[in-house]
Amino acid sequence: MADVVATNETIVVVGGGISGMTAAVEAAETGKDVILLERSPSLGGRVNQLYRYFPKLCHPTCGMEINLRRLRGNPRIRVLTLAEVDRIQGKAGDYKVSVTIRPRYVNDNCTACGACAEAVTREIPNPFNYNLNKMKAVYLPSAMAYPQRYCIDPSLIGTPEAEKAKAACPHDAIDLGMQEQKLTLTAGAVVWATGWRPYDAAKIQPYGYDRFANVITSVEFERLADPRGPTQGRILRPSDGKEAKNIAFIQCAGSRDRNHLKHCSRICCMASLKQTHYVREKYGDEGQSTIYYIDIRAIDRFEDFYQKVKADPRVRFIKSKVANITEDKDTGDVLLHGVDTEGYHRYDARHDLCVLAVGMEPSADIRAVADVKVDASGFIQAASATDGIFGAGCATNALDVNRAVQSATASTLRAVQVVNRMAKVEGQ
Amino acid sequence: MGDLNTSMIEKYRNDFLKEVEANVEEGQWVKMCMQCGVCSGSCPLGPSWEHPPQEIFMMIRAGRRDEVLKSESMWMCTSCYNCIVRCPRELPITHIMHGLANYAHRLGLAPKMNPTRRFAKIFWDNIAKSGRVNELELSMRLYFMDGFKSGVQKGLEMKDIGIGMLKTGRLNPFGLFAHKGCKDIKGIHKMLKKAYEIEDRKKGFVA
Amino acid sequence: MADMKVGAYLCQGCGLGERLDIKGLATVAQKEGKAQVVREHEFLCNSQGVAMIQKDVAEEGVNRVVIGACSRRAKVEAFQFPTAAVTRVNLREQVIWSQPDTDEARELTQEMAADYIRMGCAEAKKTAVPAINPAAGHNKRILVVGGGITGMTAALEAARGGYDVLLVEKEAALGGFAAKLHRRVPFTEPFADPQDNGVAALAAAVQGESRIQVFLGATTTRTSGAPGAFSVDITTESGPTVTENVGAIVMATGFRPYDASRLPEFGFGSSPLVVDQAGLEALASDAAAKGQAIVRPDGKAVKSVVFVQCAGQRDETGTHLKYCSGHCCNTSIKQAMYFKDQNPNVDTAIIYTDLRTPGNGEDFYRSAQRKGVTFTKGRVAKVETAGDGLTVHFHDLILNDQAATISSVDLVVLATGQVPNSGVDIEAKPAESKDGEARVQSVSILNLTYRQGPDVPQLKYGFTDSHFICFPYETRRTGIYTAGPVRRPMDIAQAVEDATGAALKAIQSVESAAHGRAVHPRAGDLSYPSFRREGCTQCKRCTVECPFGAIDEDEQRYPQFNEGRCRRCGTCMGACPVRVISFENYSIDTVGAQIKAVDVPDEFSEKPRILLLACENDAYPALDMAGMNRRVSSAFVRTIPVRCLGSVNMIWITDALNSGYDGVMLMGCKHGDDYQCHFVKGSELASYRMSKIDDTLKNLNLEVDRVRTLEVAITDIERVPALIDEYAAKINEIGMSPFKGF
Repeated sequence: MADVVATNETIVVVGGGISGMTAAVEAAETGKDVILLERSPSLGGRVNQLYRYFPKLCHPTCGMEINLRRLRGNPRIRVLTLAEVDRIQGKAGDYKVSVTIRPRYVNDNCTACGACAEAVTREIPNPFNYNLNKMKAVYLPSAMAYPQRYCIDPSLIGTPEAEKAKAACPHDAIDLGMQEQKLTLTAGAVVWATGWRPYDAAKIQPYGYDRFANVITSVEFERLADPRGPTQGRILRPSDGKEAKNIAFIQCAGSRDRNHLKHCSRICCMASLKQTHYVREKYGDEGQSTIYYIDIRAIDRFEDFYQKVKADPRVRFIKSKVANITEDKDTGDVLLHGVDTEGYHRYDARHDLCVLAVGMEPSADIRAVADVKVDASGFIQAASATDGIFGAGCATNALDVNRAVQSATASTLRAVQVVNRMAKVEGQ
Repeated sequence: MGDLNTSMIEKYRNDFLKEVEANVEEGQWVKMCMQCGVCSGSCPLGPSWEHPPQEIFMMIRAGRRDEVLKSESMWMCTSCYNCIVRCPRELPITHIMHGLANYAHRLGLAPKMNPTRRFAKIFWDNIAKSGRVNELELSMRLYFMDGFKSGVQKGLEMKDIGIGMLKTGRLNPFGLFAHKGCKDIKGIHKMLKKAYEIEDRKKGFVA
Repeated sequence: MADMKVGAYLCQGCGLGERLDIKGLATVAQKEGKAQVVREHEFLCNSQGVAMIQKDVAEEGVNRVVIGACSRRAKVEAFQFPTAAVTRVNLREQVIWSQPDTDEARELTQEMAADYIRMGCAEAKKTAVPAINPAAGHNKRILVVGGGITGMTAALEAARGGYDVLLVEKEAALGGFAAKLHRRVPFTEPFADPQDNGVAALAAAVQGESRIQVFLGATTTRTSGAPGAFSVDITTESGPTVTENVGAIVMATGFRPYDASRLPEFGFGSSPLVVDQAGLEALASDAAAKGQAIVRPDGKAVKSVVFVQCAGQRDETGTHLKYCSGHCCNTSIKQAMYFKDQNPNVDTAIIYTDLRTPGNGEDFYRSAQRKGVTFTKGRVAKVETAGDGLTVHFHDLILNDQAATISSVDLVVLATGQVPNSGVDIEAKPAESKDGEARVQSVSILNLTYRQGPDVPQLKYGFTDSHFICFPYETRRTGIYTAGPVRRPMDIAQAVEDATGAALKAIQSVESAAHGRAVHPRAGDLSYPSFRREGCTQCKRCTVECPFGAIDEDEQRYPQFNEGRCRRCGTCMGACPVRVISFENYSIDTVGAQIKAVDVPDEFSEKPRILLLACENDAYPALDMAGMNRRVSSAFVRTIPVRCLGSVNMIWITDALNSGYDGVMLMGCKHGDDYQCHFVKGSELASYRMSKIDDTLKNLNLEVDRVRTLEVAITDIERVPALIDEYAAKINEIGMSPFKGF
């Protein structure tokens, strides 16, 4: 990586999800040099793991394709994957960003022909599908993966299988001796776009996420509905592979709860409304969705979508925070217990599958690497006029995709301001 | 006690929420409820409640004073604390339920024949007398609280358990005559009197 | 440009060498493709392979590079030769990976590859490296229209980026709607109390910034030009009109509250005690100025206030606003705190159906509860005057009490929504003008001299929002970005961020314009449309159909392209019936030549030929990914990626049919309300145009099934090959085209 050239007019973007990609592309198209760091082997982040977006029900991969085309064709952007920031030191206009790059064991020669993967048999859980299925230990992270290069899981290193993969490669692209690398990048400004992670549903003990096979999270449900997912887009329940037609959605699974996340995660109401559409898409009038909610937060034009879903006779709304879930051991069905507070109706409702609309929490703690203020939920607070590290997207707040991109675009300008100031200083 | 009720009505007019906040244990938490209903759903005795906690909170806000205070509902609470553990707003619901029950009792509005109220009263009188529960006396009073006939009936129903307890030394057969109170019975009574005074003053039950 | 020299480079890697007769393909490139240089390489994308091509470009004068290897979506970085036009021939994903690896399949696979080589060479000869637009505009000043929080923020942030700004505000002072707020909803921890509205400090910062020139009491009365070269008339109430040149525009014209007098059931207008949220801010500011508590309009003390949420919003009857304005729950909470903070004994009740306080708004909600604000889930039916006060009748949804009331109320505050100040709805049909409030306003804001109308197109409910979830700053008017509540209902915190984002897009637009580059989604494309004036019939289709309003008409009624506004989708090219519009790297010829280059076997060969024109953003990647999954589909299909189905010219279809193709498929994005076409109308226009093709087919004596238009998505990795096979079967059923060999 000795060829990574960075100056104090360079913007380092941390995180290669939609916010980070946006920041990188927007800055580069404004004429700035960008280094984009991504922890995983490929770009795209969490939105790439969604089947559809609300409210248009279009596919995230569509925007991803456009962003990748903008990115691939732009010589101002340098992408480093498997890269994690260890430390950011310095001040606005003059940062040193220490980065560790984990080995991919596959070099630039890779053409993604797939011969290496064919040669191995060992399987590992597939993180792209939230570990709902397995994949080869030599893998292309997804069909949309960028860089379009295979990756060898470290667990394979030192095994005969690794040698098999190496032998199978016609392009001399596999380097089993690849080592972890440390490098220090110079940067004028940093955009921190490390995104969010789903709240650990197992912590909501009465819902039994860790005990009942047919209690899953909303992000996992996206994978079930996606043709690229572990069930090829069929909504099958994990316990027995039976078609899940009667599905419960539990809102605020972790959010708006002093015992878990105190903030509202904003997206979950719309996500569940969207997911009822998946049920309709797959099962038509045979599907039944029930949303258990406290308040349906479908703000601005999203209200249209809410009204549309409300008009669907196969979607029910129950104002209730579900108290607990039990499992019918014989059938694998889940039983939801609670009280509909609109008029006080007690229920013990049987469903094929229960989807927890899990909340958002920041995926990385920036305080471990830089002196940046975060709020009580861990989201990065707005930068001051003298700062040069700017939060973007879901690292700053619980945001939907549109607002995350808006946030990333705004943060890009703040970063551009810093490097433009540096350019002036140098020019004098 | 009826006088206390009238004076409270006078004092708070239509604002039952304020009355609860001022006079009910942890009453200031009632306003924090967001009507999610997880308390009502988590309660193991839930199906027996006419008005579950979250509904009671809404009724308080809506000023349904009589309905709330005369209700049997909050007397259903068995202090399992499930609701407190689950409440996303961290309301001390168990305490509020007991507080409401206690307040209703103080005002003389609590349902006279509510078994929990009656048990609580018998229990309290029993323990307050000597500073220690006289188990035999407590059992007898409970059995006979509805009269002699039903008392005998209940006693017969429970006789096997009673004999078992006697055999294992869990019940003193001479308890009615030889109950040992705590060491400083006078001190306890003095302490309780003071506590009553403090509470009454704090809650405005006395001028 | 020097003489054209085509170099064809054939890769043997990734199994191409084993699956295909590369020597044979080299012969095709040389003999039929007329490539002057033809080279094979065992691994073309590695450094030696790339160096080999670079050497030819540098030393042999190769300026058209045909890469016969993987998809144009792969190894993009490797195959960049700035001085040569590069054509990618997709032999990997869409030939060997989409055909069976069997001996029987070899012949058809080879024929497929040979056709693609012919097509690549043919395209290369018709394409060129675009020269930079000589008319590129170089003005980098930013115009911001609207001096509220959004506009001031956009101006300040752009100035801090080093750009000069003109800020136009129609009122006599900066501040906009926010200036009228007593306080604003908190945007920093602990999100517990209302904060200073911040307008004075922001206005002072704007006034103190030397890069910003402020025009007060001013409007934009004429806007013409293109990014980097806009010309704007700024008319000041008192003074003269000045003409200024700017490079990009941020439109931050804000909103006005929904007209509460349309809500007589809530007593607005009939009782002075009923106000909207803006009215309450006025009472609060008034009281604050006097150092007093908020009082009723009649001067009496306030003891009880009721807030009615969603007043005239989220309306399901079609009478009022259908949408939710997003900020009003927090705003009512803030206003209830005005009272509670002054006097905790004032009763404040918020009646709502869904309380919407996303993110840290939840802290604000809890803070209000702590302060004693009462929240009641209910639907307000009526507000009546009773005695000295008001009685609010509502349906309590928790207690299921249809006849709930709150009486002796001193003030009722209606949370009405935001109506955008977006100017003229250029797409409104005249008949619709009476049906909604949002259409009443018809005073233009920008007064664009554009042929398609004087303002930015609106998306829905009058908001000038982007239709794209991934791309919030798409306005369909290049170089003009809207921000704040004119774009979408929003609160101050969102507007500040939005303004900053829009300022970045404006800066990016002027930087791109100065270099002649396209902006999103074909960012960086240096080509631009040109037309053969002598062939033009002035039919105006291009000027009408351009999704971005880029094309005007000049004095002689010829199209005037305003290249800086162009997004390079080619919709104009697709629209042109006389085929006079082209781009240097994309034209009637670049595609037409490929269609003609395909070797069409005779009628008795049992080898039909199907042309597939595939949108490069959805259908083409789906085909690539199908190949990556080794999903096999018909070997008779020849695919040509197009920028957008809107760019598909009818001549390509008729040429294909005339030259003996048996069928033509068009695959583009979903259209309709939730369209996914990134050039807005392209796929819809294509499908409209193709709906007219039946007559043409009948004239040619062909079956209507010879042309099929399909909507696909990028995720249709299974479906796209299935559609292809289905269509191939259909063609097999109706038989070979009678036009072969003519």
